[in-house]
Amino acid sequence: MQVNTQEIIISFTLNGEKVVKNVQPNWTLLDLLRKKLRVRSPKEGCLRGDCGACTVLLNGKPVNSCLVLAPKVDGATIVTVEGLKGDPVFEALKETFAEKGAVQCGFCTPGMILSAKYLLDRKKNPTQEEIEEAIEGNLCRCTGYIKIVEAIKEAAKKLI
Amino acid sequence: MTETREVTAERGPFFFKRELGKEEGEYKLVGREIERPDAFSKIMGLTKFTADRLTEDVCFGKIVRSKYPHALIKRVIVDEALQIKGVLAVITAKDVPGENQIGYAIPDQPLLADKKVRYIGEPIAIVVAENEYAAEKGVEAVKVEYDPLPAVFDPLEALKPEAPKVHEKGNVALTTIIRKGDVEKGFKEADVVVENIYYTQRQEHAYLEPEAAIAYPEGDGIRVVLCTQSPFLVREFVSRVTGYSQSKIKVIGAPAGGAFGGKDDMGPMVASKAALAAIITKKPVAIILDKEETFVASNKRHPAIIRYKSGATKDGKLTAVEIEIIYETGAYANRSPFVLWRATVHSAGPYVVPNAKVDGKSVYTNKVFSGSFRGFGDPQIHFAAEQQMDELAEKLGIDPVEFRLRNVLKEGTRTVCNQLLEESVGMEETLKKVAEAANWKKKREELKKYRKGSKVRGIGVACAYHGISTSRGVPDWSAAAVLLNEDGTITYRSTITRLGQGSLIGHAKIVAEILDIPLEWVHIEEPDTSASPNARPTHGSRGLMTGGTAAADAALKLRRTLIKLASELLNCDEKNVKLENGKAFCALDPSNKIEFSELAKETYQRGYQPAYYGFYFVPRRYFDPETGLGVAYCVYTYIANIVEVEVDKETGEVKVLEAYTGADVGKAIDPGLIEGQMQGALAQGIGYAISEEVAFNDGKIINPNYTDYIIPTVKDVPRKVKVVIIEKPYSSTAFGAKGVAEAALIPTAPAIANAVAHATGVRVRNLPLTKEKVCFKLKEGKK
Repeated sequence: MQVNTQEIIISFTLNGEKVVKNVQPNWTLLDLLRKKLRVRSPKEGCLRGDCGACTVLLNGKPVNSCLVLAPKVDGATIVTVEGLKGDPVFEALKETFAEKGAVQCGFCTPGMILSAKYLLDRKKNPTQEEIEEAIEGNLCRCTGYIKIVEAIKEAAKKLI
Repeated sequence: MTETREVTAERGPFFFKRELGKEEGEYKLVGREIERPDAFSKIMGLTKFTADRLTEDVCFGKIVRSKYPHALIKRVIVDEALQIKGVLAVITAKDVPGENQIGYAIPDQPLLADKKVRYIGEPIAIVVAENEYAAEKGVEAVKVEYDPLPAVFDPLEALKPEAPKVHEKGNVALTTIIRKGDVEKGFKEADVVVENIYYTQRQEHAYLEPEAAIAYPEGDGIRVVLCTQSPFLVREFVSRVTGYSQSKIKVIGAPAGGAFGGKDDMGPMVASKAALAAIITKKPVAIILDKEETFVASNKRHPAIIRYKSGATKDGKLTAVEIEIIYETGAYANRSPFVLWRATVHSAGPYVVPNAKVDGKSVYTNKVFSGSFRGFGDPQIHFAAEQQMDELAEKLGIDPVEFRLRNVLKEGTRTVCNQLLEESVGMEETLKKVAEAANWKKKREELKKYRKGSKVRGIGVACAYHGISTSRGVPDWSAAAVLLNEDGTITYRSTITRLGQGSLIGHAKIVAEILDIPLEWVHIEEPDTSASPNARPTHGSRGLMTGGTAAADAALKLRRTLIKLASELLNCDEKNVKLENGKAFCALDPSNKIEFSELAKETYQRGYQPAYYGFYFVPRRYFDPETGLGVAYCVYTYIANIVEVEVDKETGEVKVLEAYTGADVGKAIDPGLIEGQMQGALAQGIGYAISEEVAFNDGKIINPNYTDYIIPTVKDVPRKVKVVIIEKPYSSTAFGAKGVAEAALIPTAPAIANAVAHATGVRVRNLPLTKEKVCFKLKEGKK
């Protein structure tokens, strides 16, 4: 992390707030969020874009923040679960994930919810296939996904 | 064989009904599904996993690992690494102040290899630096001079006399045995005999959160925070390695991002290194493995080779089994004595088998060590046992469910170890209920229609049983503490850890039920070896059964105190005092009452004891390791799975379409949490059955990531999963509960293999059932 390279100043919106930060060109967005900005909901799982535990919304779309270099987010909008209080889709998911028992260890949960939110933002009444597509990139080793899918379906119902 | 019963306090459902003066239907928390109290904090990312506790002052330890599968270490040259800016120390075996020994059951495993390395990835040195980058650079700069030795990668090769010796005393780490009845006679009585060899693979736990520990020097002691399944075991290891007395070591069990047995074995190893680094550098040090290290260097599920011969009469009764079990332990024995014994004593499956000859061997090879993994030896042996059952049934022309029902263990029958099962034996009911839920008979016939074209369907069944807590009379106990605060809230302490399974939520429910207070009043403290009683490990599906029973013991003691106190305050006979909804009142005059908070205050004011230590000692009896006969476990959980699969005959792809999984759990403290455990175990079992295999090339793992090691995504699990809960309570535990966390995984792979056989007519006896293997078998079958 501490390489002697030119730092770059970037500015972006994080959870509704403007952030200006000096970053090293080799930092990932995940490094920047977790280590420098102390945003802890994106989790460090595999660091190669396989597990989805570090998912954030970059300009509205779910991305693996471990695969995005920090300088690339200059001018972008980043959203994590910390910034979604009051968002109706998020609130619905939050409730149904708890109600349906879709949370076990919780390591995949924030990322999973962001992927689900992206889906429900675009689809009012998603099909089973669409739900599966939406969270296919978010691995969960605890739940077997059954209750997660149920929770997303239930959230969709609540939002209608 | 003696069968003297050790006397334990009767607990179980009847005891609790009497003690609480309630019928089961009147319980407010026990037996009811609740919303997890920790859900919101996890959703919001507020739950503090180990890595979430890193602060700027924490240094990093990175590990120098062996590049050879088998070699003598000539020299470790650290000078260049020490020149790197930010590097504080390079720690090798000679720097270990205590014992350089972390063998679990057999002292065969160094913390840091000194003379010899036995697998690729074995730790040799720890580079400690002010930041991760410097630590990584330091690892690259450490030079290890090796003298390579011939290596052995296959357990059968390792058993040959000319094989390279992984350890001086030879390549057999240990053996196990069962001799029961007369197998020769048993096979003579059999009308059909089936004999096959089964192979199972290495499975990686693949929890999303990597192993992590942060150690802080504190005063004359040390504090270690880590994701672990056993804080007290960590303390024992840290003490052994550092030479610090146990009282100077404080271990905090952080929530784990999945564990599945892996963090049971890895916790002490990672923590010992972090503690060592912190003591030597006098700075807080974090060791966090990266994903590749996790794959390369963490324990795996034992690969197995099982030769299995079984016989049955034409009326469908098992007569004998003869089984040879080889479990590959890799470079070190680790938990193998326990894993192999578990496999051995469960080797006949949940059936009555009058004659048995079982021989188990745990074999060293130059690969990463095997160890604890959900099921702990039972998935492998049931993969063999349950396919044998199907083949016998087929030869006899009996339906597989019916054939099993003719042989299942029931109360009053004896296991393969000749253990008399006195109570809580729900195999028959579980199998019947699961078959009913799956509509077995109808489906088994109907699916024969899906035999045309390239996609065919089949349905398969498998049963299993799984002993809870420790085996063979090895003592096991648990403890907990319940403290009544002056405002009426409860502080609850246990060192059962938070792996996502929710055992501590179950404990809290038990405490709240016994005191009849709202669940929110029970505050669960973080597991801490300096503050919490030793609940022992969170493994063997024991977290709720043993830890929860200790919680109940403490809560009952407090309850009795409160009743006595309330009797005094209300001027009401003790037998008429009721605790209900956070109040105490006199049954003869319910208006004569006192609030719980008032009661709490009076507890202190009037000199009653406000805190209790709860203890539970698991019943144990005689087991003879020379014959393998005796009481193997105090109680068992019984499981049945039925799956429907679709097999693409063109590609060999196996897809699980529907799954039904049931278990006799004794008493469901929380049916929702049980469902979660069973669905998750099923998914992990599907991965084990179809896609997961740690692959090697000359001792080097070639798929150390989620791209190449395939765990199930949402698309790989069945859309329909039905969980069936059977309750045959156990008289020794709180409300009759047994364990469930491992259960559903165990019969998943054999149920899938049996379903594939039903669909295609060919049998794959080699896990995982990859496309290649299924295709190959289908082609072979056509010949």
